[in-house]
Amino acid sequence: MLRILFVGRFAALRTPVLATSLLVAGSSVLLAQARMVDTTPAAGTIAITGGKLLTITRGVIENGVVLIEGGKIAAVGTAASVKVPKGATVVDAKGMTVYPGLFDAETRLGLSEIGSDRTTNDTIETSEEIFPQMHVYDAFHAESEHIPITRYNGITNAIVAPAESDTIPGQDSLIQLAGRDRDSMLMVKDVALAMNFGEAPKRGARGEAAGPAGGRYPSTRMGEISQMRQALLDAQEYMARRADTSKKPAGEEGAAVPAGGRGGAGGSNFNLRNEALIPYLKGEKPVVLGAYDGHDVETAMAFAQEFHLKVVLSHLTRANDILDKVASYHVPVIVGPIYDLPGPNERYDAVYSVPGELAKRGVKVILASYNVSNSRNLPYSAGFAVAYGLPYDEAMKSITLNPAEVFGVADKLGSLDVGKIANVVIADGDPLDVRTSVKQVYINGVAIPMETRQTKLRDEYWPKK
Amino acid sequence: MSPSILRLAPASAIAGVFLFSLDMAAAQNSAVPADLVIKNATVMTASHGTIQHGSVWLHNGKIAGVGAMVSAPAGATVIDATGKYVTPGIIDPHSHSALGDDVNEATSPVTPSMMMIDAFDNRDKALYLALAGGVTSELLLHGSANMIGGQAVVIKNKFGLSKEEMLFPNAPRSIKFASGENPKRVYGTRNQLPSTRMGNFEVMRQAFEDAKVYRREWDSYNDKLAKGDKDAKPPHRDLKLDALADILRGKLLVQIHCYRSDEFLTEEAIAQEYGFKIRAFHHALEMYKVGGKIAADGTAIATFTDWYGGKYEMWDGIPWNAVMSMREGVRVALKSDSNDHIRRLNQEAGKMVHYGGATEDEAITMVTLNPAWIMGIDDKTGSLDLGKDGDVVIWNMDPLSTYARAEKVYIDGELFFDSSLPGFGTTHFSGVMHGSGFGAGEDDDDEQGVN
Repeated sequence: MLRILFVGRFAALRTPVLATSLLVAGSSVLLAQARMVDTTPAAGTIAITGGKLLTITRGVIENGVVLIEGGKIAAVGTAASVKVPKGATVVDAKGMTVYPGLFDAETRLGLSEIGSDRTTNDTIETSEEIFPQMHVYDAFHAESEHIPITRYNGITNAIVAPAESDTIPGQDSLIQLAGRDRDSMLMVKDVALAMNFGEAPKRGARGEAAGPAGGRYPSTRMGEISQMRQALLDAQEYMARRADTSKKPAGEEGAAVPAGGRGGAGGSNFNLRNEALIPYLKGEKPVVLGAYDGHDVETAMAFAQEFHLKVVLSHLTRANDILDKVASYHVPVIVGPIYDLPGPNERYDAVYSVPGELAKRGVKVILASYNVSNSRNLPYSAGFAVAYGLPYDEAMKSITLNPAEVFGVADKLGSLDVGKIANVVIADGDPLDVRTSVKQVYINGVAIPMETRQTKLRDEYWPKK
Repeated sequence: MSPSILRLAPASAIAGVFLFSLDMAAAQNSAVPADLVIKNATVMTASHGTIQHGSVWLHNGKIAGVGAMVSAPAGATVIDATGKYVTPGIIDPHSHSALGDDVNEATSPVTPSMMMIDAFDNRDKALYLALAGGVTSELLLHGSANMIGGQAVVIKNKFGLSKEEMLFPNAPRSIKFASGENPKRVYGTRNQLPSTRMGNFEVMRQAFEDAKVYRREWDSYNDKLAKGDKDAKPPHRDLKLDALADILRGKLLVQIHCYRSDEFLTEEAIAQEYGFKIRAFHHALEMYKVGGKIAADGTAIATFTDWYGGKYEMWDGIPWNAVMSMREGVRVALKSDSNDHIRRLNQEAGKMVHYGGATEDEAITMVTLNPAWIMGIDDKTGSLDLGKDGDVVIWNMDPLSTYARAEKVYIDGELFFDSSLPGFGTTHFSGVMHGSGFGAGEDDDDEQGVN
């Protein structure tokens, strides 16, 4: 087991060979712009040599070489098998661990800057409950200070999702954690539809949805399901009519728009809400279905199956009682936060052990931070899951390849394989251990300045003595 | 029948000798053994480095020996901890666990007569979760809605015992102060004083001015009594002013919730003006900016490792704060302020190796001896030293690793948690745990922001 190799041996691995030599290699311009980084690949080859490679797909390669060309991974292998081309920028990663950039499968990065300040928060639109036509990319603030802080710990990709207090709060985006501007950081604009069921979306309940005492519809789980069912039926009807209309001469349909959402002006048939639901009703894209408790997961799954949705389950931190059933759904599960507190009758490790228990049952497990300022702790969540039964290799996959596969980008992200985007991390030890420091992050093959608002404050005040 | 004293050395040296070695999984006897020896462990003492292949001997609940060899009697219960780590119990100097929804008496910005013991629920599940994370003592504090809050409870985390049995014997009294955004928001949104930082400190100064007068009246009365004046009339007894006067008399350890560097300076100036000491700034995210000055005042900090950004006064929080402040001479403790984080303070300490290059010994001290000092109990617990309470944790591996799990937790030499036991892993608890109230999760903390 890989992790055994690391235990208690950190001091020996902690050699500061790397970061300085890297930054010399042509990124002096970038130092001035650590927040927004131009990730247009430069010409030439970067060769990361001598490191221990965690390939994810093909195990561990000791004394390995990773070649980066044109922003892509050009070769991966042992020192003996990969020839470093003449003129390549060689990065000596001896004593270091090299692995693909980490992928946080749910965050609010770019949607919230200072938690308590509403003017800096665009996490959810709660004026209605069913808002599939909300796109987080419309709010995504690429210049958020949290993004460099998160990538400083080796996270290079993330799903940005709306908060959870609507049943259908909108569509998620997949981002790269560096780029010249917003557009270059958005990898997939509408990558999945967020759906939530249970306590959080209730009206008159706690949280952002809290309304006047007594609440409004839907204030119960029955209300949530009934409202969602109506919305999806409306959208199906809309879809059918549109298909029908397209066969007839224009104008024949008039204003006969099915209920649901706000209709277009001037009798237009076009309805943003229904339109937004179509790819999900067709099963072309996944819905991320959030539920915590076992019985809520069962209800939500039954509902999703009714409409043949392509489901990724999310949370399940109080679903210990139905793990076998979860496995029978044959859907991937984003678990967490792993730091959720156990239920009243549960043992202290009831939540910590969920990823391991699901993996044991053959479920594809993904871990996520569900956070902004704590997204940088994603690798530690995976390490914690290892402490409570998730095999190390599965833990690494849970924050790299598994989310890449589920969100349809496994050809680009998630492992050290030829042809993938060169999102690569070099660290001085086991990526999942809290004591490890990331030395260099590459995104699109570009060495990202290891500088954040926080390192600037650190350097400004670092004790002189 | 004089007990023969054996020198206990690493297993290799005493192989084949005498003592019955108790299987770890079977060591669930809740009675306190007169002598307990944990041997062959990596022993992190928190006060004098780490001992490889070391032993810890507990005698009648106290630490009687720590080292490569200990002298324990032949009848001692022995636990072979080969490959495992032993540390002092983890100590959390900033918790609101087990106080239900009664954390803040947010009806006046000065409430020093609030006694947190009156809200303490010893069956709260949060205590169990902390115990399973190796936490043996906690400082249960009033919230931060008030400039001068209430008086804390210091507990030993003997989950399953009665409320009285969980109190830390003879622990000094602590009082919680706050500053900054929380008091001004709580009262400002009601259009009451304080609604600004000016208001915050005005409220505080006025309280101490009142306390000065009150203290003088009582001192004068007591003087008269001492001189035998039988006609002396006692002044009115006011609980709030009693507590404030005790602060001026230096009888309470002052624990201040405070984030911003300018406010540390103001708080120190006020403390100096009224003649009391500040024991610790809590949260203290900007201590790295003024660490040298505060170190000179002898004030410690109890800080988060890497929380920042939840509100504006947390915006300059950096994860290097603890180590930078330590390098400036500040005594640094890490704390949870959360029913979640309290479960893995050992990992939080591990982050200090990453953020700033603390040594492992320095890191472990931040969650054991230094918080004990903040609570005024460092003469009794917080390190593995002779004569201290037998508050000890056995970990499956280096506790600073992400992969570490607390396997056994001893308090006063008695086993209170054993992860190998079925069910909850507790040795003393039976019945029903109570749900956690305030601070049950990060969301609640963020929303209320006044803990």
